[in-house]
Amino acid sequence: MAYKGHRINPQKFEKSQIKIILIILPLVLVMGLPILYIINHAFKPMDELFAYPPKFFVSRPTFDNFTKLFKASRTAGIPLSRYVFNSSIVTITVVFSSIILSTAAGFALSKLKFKGKFALMNINQAALMFVPVAVMIPRYMTINVLGITDTFFAHILPLIPLPVALFLVKQFIDQVPDSLIEAAYIDGASEWKVYRKIVLPLIKPAIATAAILVFQQVWTNMETSNYYVSSEGLKTLTFYMNTLTTTQNTVAGQGMQAAASLIMFLPSLVLFIILQNSVMNTMAHSGIK
Amino acid sequence: MRKAQKVKKVKLGKLAKREARMGYIFVLPWIIGAVLFLIVPLIQSFQYSLADIKITPKGMKIDFVAFENFTQIWLEDAEYPLALGGYFWETILSVPIIVVFALLIAMFLNQKIRCKGLFRLIFFLPVIIVSGPVMNMLSSQGAATIPSMNVAAIRSALEGFLPYYIASGFSDVFSNMIMILWYSGVQILIFLSALQKIDSSLYEAAKIDGGSGWECFWKITLPTIKPMILLNAVYTVIFLSNNEQNNIINIIQNAMFAGNKGYGYASAMAWMYAIVQTIIVAIVAVLLLTRKDAYDKQVKRRKKELRKQNRTLRRIRRRNRRKEKSVSSLSKSKGNVAWHTIRKNSMTLGKNGGEEHEKA
Repeated sequence: MAYKGHRINPQKFEKSQIKIILIILPLVLVMGLPILYIINHAFKPMDELFAYPPKFFVSRPTFDNFTKLFKASRTAGIPLSRYVFNSSIVTITVVFSSIILSTAAGFALSKLKFKGKFALMNINQAALMFVPVAVMIPRYMTINVLGITDTFFAHILPLIPLPVALFLVKQFIDQVPDSLIEAAYIDGASEWKVYRKIVLPLIKPAIATAAILVFQQVWTNMETSNYYVSSEGLKTLTFYMNTLTTTQNTVAGQGMQAAASLIMFLPSLVLFIILQNSVMNTMAHSGIK
Repeated sequence: MRKAQKVKKVKLGKLAKREARMGYIFVLPWIIGAVLFLIVPLIQSFQYSLADIKITPKGMKIDFVAFENFTQIWLEDAEYPLALGGYFWETILSVPIIVVFALLIAMFLNQKIRCKGLFRLIFFLPVIIVSGPVMNMLSSQGAATIPSMNVAAIRSALEGFLPYYIASGFSDVFSNMIMILWYSGVQILIFLSALQKIDSSLYEAAKIDGGSGWECFWKITLPTIKPMILLNAVYTVIFLSNNEQNNIINIIQNAMFAGNKGYGYASAMAWMYAIVQTIIVAIVAVLLLTRKDAYDKQVKRRKKELRKQNRTLRRIRRRNRRKEKSVSSLSKSKGNVAWHTIRKNSMTLGKNGGEEHEKA
């Protein structure tokens, strides 16, 4: 089964594929429903938004919701671009630093030997179990002590150590065979080089998955804007979208909320399509057997 | 091997030291972040869970009340223990459904079919929406149920012979069937990457020996991806427990800002929740943990025996030395030499013994 470049689809359609497609197709429809729903919902006029039973498809699409949303944002003191800028800075920094930290820590925890390794792993496992809501107030106090309230750091630092990302990445690094790493050591590679040249390329699928998860967490996060930042100009787009739709009349807000959720959803979609492609390609080539 | 052991016992060797140092360097940034924003808050919230906290204009007032919060939750709270029980059964039931579904889909997507890329994309897509407010909207409008499935009938049928908790857990699972399927995006991706790493020559060899697809699945696919099944199961538990659709999180958050409950009470709730989660993960882990093979077990036993041997040897040596001292203090001239030779003999004996053991 030789893989040719990045092509994952077979070139020909054969009869034997029909049965698989028959099983998969209904499931695909089910899985695709939420996306269809988001997209359709944003274009629904008022009477269709509140129709009962709710419909998936819009029958008379309009741009009303979007124009309303932009009108509402124009009346606010701070331009929309500021929130977009804040959100993108925060998200990009958090995703990159969190990936670097969790892969480095995962590599060390999985492949290097040092004292206290198992204790650290257990602590991470314990942190996984804990509801983030419950540490909100202690986190605020830490941020207060560090003196970073009302800065970008208040957005970035609390979100970087994500236990789920470390857990995922570590489990994938466990699958990397020791012999590969030992071979590199024999050829004179340092730990740093092993990390960069062997571990990172081999766990690309895990990195992409973790990146999507982290992105998702950060992009939709309102906690930091809500509790740790008080100046209006430093809040994120998610928070802003949320205030737009909740402070306005809730009935009229429904349409704007639908439009806002489509806007919030698009970056995730784009990121996902980009990453998905690279994930699938690397998985076909990875040398782990 | 004996040499390495000796070195370890005396002092870390140069290489081991360096490796340990690099390990610390690699982990350090993560540790700093985790300590600041995970560990310290966790410890603090544990302290708070043992206290009654009132927020006054002057600041927070913390009264230590020991386990009063916990007892209050169990004895007086009408809602929380019930919700916790419901959550427990629901999670136990939906984890296998999600994992098996994800495995099935991953196996399908690993076949050679047309439009595979598109299918993959669609199956993973729900991941990027489930955490958003969109999911709330969808589930509140009833889009997460399968309309043709008669949940009420299933529920009444189940309640006939099952206790209330379990029956309601079952019916919740049925009524949120589509939701559960939407949750399986990451798991599908993980399974897919694991499936693609299985050596295809294994399957070819099995086919040549006359193995059917069914046998290949049970003898090759499943054992190979077992670690990934564990990973997926744990991930599913955590994801189900910590996402916003979960009712318990709302209860905790409401309790945090309620006048008569406060932060201490909410912390106690959160800790109890964490304990229940840990129990579920432990159950999953015990069921799925890869058993060490017989060879590993033997090696471990051998090592243990060796360690015991060394310990006894050391004890003998120490005793000898003590005796030597007492003897030498008694008679410095002759006895010293005699004891010395004896000790030497015993040492060489011990060494030989160890070596023999090693070879065996």
